[in-house]
Amino acid sequence: MRLTAKLMNQEILARLQNLCRDEAAFEQIKEILAGYEQGYEQEITKANLLVEQQKTLFHVITRLREPLDLETIFQATATEVRQMLKADRVGMFRFYLDSGWDDGEFVSEDVDPAFGSAMAQKIHDHCFGEQFAAHYQQGRIQAVADIYNYGLSDCHIQILSQFQVRANLVVPLLMGQKLWGLLCIHQCSSPRQWNSTEIEFVRQIANHLGVALHHAELLAELQVEIRERMQAQQRVQALNQGLQQAITELKVVNKELEAFSYSVSHDLRAPLRSIDGFSLALLEDCLEQLDTTGQDYLRRIRSATQRMGQLIDDLLTLSRVTRSDMHFTPVNLSVLASRICTNLQRQSERQVEFVIQNNLLAQGDGNLLQVVLENLLSNAWKFTSKRLQARIEFGAIPQEDGTRAYFVRDDGVGFDMAYSDKLFGPFQRLHGMHEFPGNGIGLATVQRIVHRHGGRVWAEGNIEQGATFYFTLVQEALT
Amino acid sequence: MNVTTNNKTILLVEDNPDDEALAIRALKRHHIGNEIVVAHDGVEALDYLFGTGMYKGRDINIKPTVILLDLKLPRIDGLEVLRRLREDERTKLLPVVVLTTSNEEQDLLNSYSLGCNSYIRKPVDFIQFSDAIRQLGMYWLLMNEVPPL
Repeated sequence: MRLTAKLMNQEILARLQNLCRDEAAFEQIKEILAGYEQGYEQEITKANLLVEQQKTLFHVITRLREPLDLETIFQATATEVRQMLKADRVGMFRFYLDSGWDDGEFVSEDVDPAFGSAMAQKIHDHCFGEQFAAHYQQGRIQAVADIYNYGLSDCHIQILSQFQVRANLVVPLLMGQKLWGLLCIHQCSSPRQWNSTEIEFVRQIANHLGVALHHAELLAELQVEIRERMQAQQRVQALNQGLQQAITELKVVNKELEAFSYSVSHDLRAPLRSIDGFSLALLEDCLEQLDTTGQDYLRRIRSATQRMGQLIDDLLTLSRVTRSDMHFTPVNLSVLASRICTNLQRQSERQVEFVIQNNLLAQGDGNLLQVVLENLLSNAWKFTSKRLQARIEFGAIPQEDGTRAYFVRDDGVGFDMAYSDKLFGPFQRLHGMHEFPGNGIGLATVQRIVHRHGGRVWAEGNIEQGATFYFTLVQEALT
Repeated sequence: MNVTTNNKTILLVEDNPDDEALAIRALKRHHIGNEIVVAHDGVEALDYLFGTGMYKGRDINIKPTVILLDLKLPRIDGLEVLRRLREDERTKLLPVVVLTTSNEEQDLLNSYSLGCNSYIRKPVDFIQFSDAIRQLGMYWLLMNEVPPL
């Protein structure tokens, strides 16, 4: 409901005239009243306008609370603001990112059909970024009543006239502290003096749009985050699937390997038994028909078959070490080493000094770690056998990365470092059979066990200057 | 000296002719003169024991004193033969010695849990093999009191 300033209705005037009884005085009173009335009317018009502006603002704010996209908010706001201000064009101009505020375009607009649209045209103003952006960022508002009479640069005038702008009111759209774009009110039909109420109104609208921009930015960030999380989740799922597949494949391979070793264990040994058995049968049943050379050959055949039988057994042991289940427990390596050394000492009267560091506790599979120490210590025992006096040491040293390296050191025949990489290959030997017996499977076994514990094994040595074998057991592999 | 045969039969279940010949030779060399019946796979072994198939009509009351059973056999394998023997009232107490090339832990466990009486791995060294056969023969044919069947 509109207020009205009509003081001079017939009833009031009649009453005043009755009171006055003087035509001249009455005319004077009428004049005074008319003056007041005009003032009131102006005030009331102003108040009504404010009420309308408040309504528009209220609409804009209400819309911000609704789950609307930026485009809808901009469009509705442009329409309402244009109606409110009776302007010819209201547009939201957005700067391109990284253009240094020199380039951008209108992303939303409401325009009087008599004038052209400013939408979707790339607008370049090479002086804007440099000269004006900083000011707008501070909240500067530009109100131009007539672009031809404001001292604007030629290029600026040219851009504005392109859109038939005669007067404009430009308020920054800030997203947080950043100049996102401009809210532009254009008057195309004629110049226009922008009053302070209008400017304040547009400023408030721009503030609220800034809030909408901020919300939109937060939403976009959230969406990016959600998308990233979903992608990460998908990657994890894919990875898991891959892992599952790999596990399944590994299980199949393991099964095949088991079947293979089983068949090796059965089928490779059977012909060997025949060769050995019938060679012996020849020696026993037909001895008188064989001369010593013939007998020697048969013995060689038998010893070779037996060695091959041993090799097959060793290979099987090696493969069993690789596929047996692991049971991790705390293992006192010092105790294990002492026991092994005591057993070795029992085998002969040799003078060997064993030096074993106390209380070396490790996490691992007790049976497998015993195999490691047995192999390393009996190697040390074997390769010191030509010494009158020998010293065999078991201990641990800290590594650079803080983990522990265990070692078995001897002062035996050593080896040539040039061949150190060959030490751990199955059936690799650095000494002749006649020198030191062995089948070359011990260190290969050690390496496999250490690898299964997530560790590393290596050796140092020199010919005739002893050898040291190191191994680590990585903590991470324990869980 | 020949050990008295006293009608005690050995059932040798073995598909490898070399192993068969060597086992028979070893038994002979150790003067174990018992009758040796050879079955070349699991089916033949079961036929012999239950009087079926190629042994249809055989008097199954005449039972072997000991069965030397290889595990890896054509058609029906050794473990299955053992299982069926132990399931049947007529054969469940027959002494069975598993004689195999395998020393896989799984085979050992399976054999014992199915109720074999002994498990011997055929060594490559024939002297060891021969010795194992001799001990087997001595134990099962001479020393062991067989359950009344």
